[in-house]
Amino acid sequence: MMEREPIIQLKDLKKKIGRKTIIHGISLDLYPGEVFGFLGPNGAGKTTTIRMMVGLMKISAGEVLINGHSVQDNFEKAISYVGGIIENPEMYKYLSGRDNLIHYARMIPNIKKEKIDEIVKLVGLEKRIHEKVKTYSLGMRQRLGLAQALLHSPSILILDEPTNGLDPAGIREIRTYIRRIAREENITVFVSSHLLSEMQLMCDRIGIIHHGKLISVEDVTTMKEDNLDISVHFDVTPSQKALDIVKEVQPDTQPSIKENWLTVQLKKDEIANLNKVLVDQGIDVSGIYAEQKTLEEKFLEVTGGDSHV
Amino acid sequence: MFNILRLVQNENLKIYKRMSTWIMISLLILSVVIGGIATKFLMNPNDGNPETNWKEELQVRNEQLQMDIEQIENAVGAGSATKPLEEEVLINNYRIENDIAPVESETLWGFMISAPNFTTFASLFAIVIGAGIVASEFSTGTIKLLLIRPVNRYKILLSKYLATLLFAFLLVLLIFITAFIVGSIMYGFQGIDLPYLVYTEGQFVEKNMLNHIITLFGLNSVNLIMMVTFAFMISTVFRSSSLAIGLSLFLMFTGQQIVMLLSQYDWVKYILFANTDLTQYFSGSPVVEGMTLTFSVTILAVYFLFFNVASWVIFQKRDVAA
Ligand SMILES: Nc1ncnc2c1ncn2[C@@H]1O[C@H](COP(=O)(O)OP(=O)(O)O)[C@@H](O)[C@H]1O
Ligand SMILES: [Mg+2]
Repeated sequence: MMEREPIIQLKDLKKKIGRKTIIHGISLDLYPGEVFGFLGPNGAGKTTTIRMMVGLMKISAGEVLINGHSVQDNFEKAISYVGGIIENPEMYKYLSGRDNLIHYARMIPNIKKEKIDEIVKLVGLEKRIHEKVKTYSLGMRQRLGLAQALLHSPSILILDEPTNGLDPAGIREIRTYIRRIAREENITVFVSSHLLSEMQLMCDRIGIIHHGKLISVEDVTTMKEDNLDISVHFDVTPSQKALDIVKEVQPDTQPSIKENWLTVQLKKDEIANLNKVLVDQGIDVSGIYAEQKTLEEKFLEVTGGDSHV
Repeated sequence: MFNILRLVQNENLKIYKRMSTWIMISLLILSVVIGGIATKFLMNPNDGNPETNWKEELQVRNEQLQMDIEQIENAVGAGSATKPLEEEVLINNYRIENDIAPVESETLWGFMISAPNFTTFASLFAIVIGAGIVASEFSTGTIKLLLIRPVNRYKILLSKYLATLLFAFLLVLLIFITAFIVGSIMYGFQGIDLPYLVYTEGQFVEKNMLNHIITLFGLNSVNLIMMVTFAFMISTVFRSSSLAIGLSLFLMFTGQQIVMLLSQYDWVKYILFANTDLTQYFSGSPVVEGMTLTFSVTILAVYFLFFNVASWVIFQKRDVAA
């Protein structure tokens, strides 16, 4: 995947509103056909980043390239590859679903009537498409939102919290559409959410954003719980000496000491080894207690666990 | 260009698929119809037959005018104040000599000459549309999906402005057509060949009456265009349709009065509302002495450009966080 040309590039993207910096320099490459999850708690800066990516907000510093075209300097070209829903899919309620689609189709050259029918079928709205949008349920509006985003066969789909407010069935439906679109049409999907569980089910890669910084990007396959560090507590005496030893042999395990408990972050298969090192150095290890974390806990930990709705 | 037309088509879709638009259009037509009926039946028509009496009436009118002129001359001395009156006397004399009857108010043309006054209603409704066309996209959040299309923002703004103007012109056209239909049903086509008389630089010119009426509509539309452009700017800059409607209507209904109140100051001539009524150069006298048609047109152009540039700059730069 990495040898391919990225289709979206964020280069040290920053946003300042007034004196407040909201996005602190995000750099990210997205590749064709991948589903990328943009995960972060409320207020992390997901919507702000997405707004800059689609030109709704001015970029304070850095740049966004879509298929090599700068969103700022060559907006019409860059955005022509993109379909999106930003937060709620707000459409014209007094128009029918079909009139809404006709409206958006007129803004793009060469969209045929058949294309509209095809998309309507894809999102399963044939029966209600002639009715006014104000009569639609949230799920139907979300699907109409997907329809308008897919009208011009974009290479990139940008969705900001597409499952917000949907019931579990609606969420599964959207998830199925997203996976299918990415697979069948080779569309890159950039989807944001504040729910890890949801992201794991539909994404290939997940980037975690917190306080306007991208703090990690990982493949979902390597994010299995077995691969996570485990917090291991050793009951040791003398504790200070034990800490010094660990700092020397495994300084990247974030060793810390509290009373006689030495805490380190380890992979499962490293526990026995560290124990051996300590014992060999004459430390008295009278207890080992491992604390396995779930991904959800890990996510909460890195994001400070705040405002997780 | 093709692109812009399709965008205007979109804006029209959004205007004319709304119930409120059709209510406004119906109200406008209704007001012209009611206005027509009111002039026919409520205003006291002249007794007797106007066909034979008009020469005598003009004579009486001229005597009255002469008295007025003398009074004004005694009070403030001869000057621009008496000029329109003197012209009317001359025109009346010309009519009597050449047997050209004046247009009576109870005729098709008489009614159509007063019809341009209905453009105030057109302004009102066009302001409502212009005030909402940008602001409502922000208040409903639809602006986001509108702006993430391969269309630069200025094109979207232009299409909205053009759609608003088109709506305004449609309303003016509807007034014209309704007035014509109502007028011809009520008064028939008697006197349809009467010319419009103008007196310029010592000469009488007979002009086509229909052209004159269309010109009147055109002159009345100046105010309409300026107020709609103003409402559009407020709507774009403040994203609030109620503010745009309130401010525009307030200024539309009080602007002329404010100018009148301040008319002793020379700088009043730079205020928009001292210039929107271009009929002041064709009949009557300008608000401030020395104002010319060219001056007013220049001032109007400056305001027009300012309103549009303000809308354009703000809309182009705005961070959309709706
Ligand atoms: N217009 C604005 N002015 C000031 N601060 C803002 C503005 N919009 C968003 N923010 C702040 O920026 C941060 C990120 O917001 P947002 O991008 O909406 O987060 P998310 O979509 O991840 O929930 C929040 O702390 C929010 O308070
Ligand atoms: Mg958000």
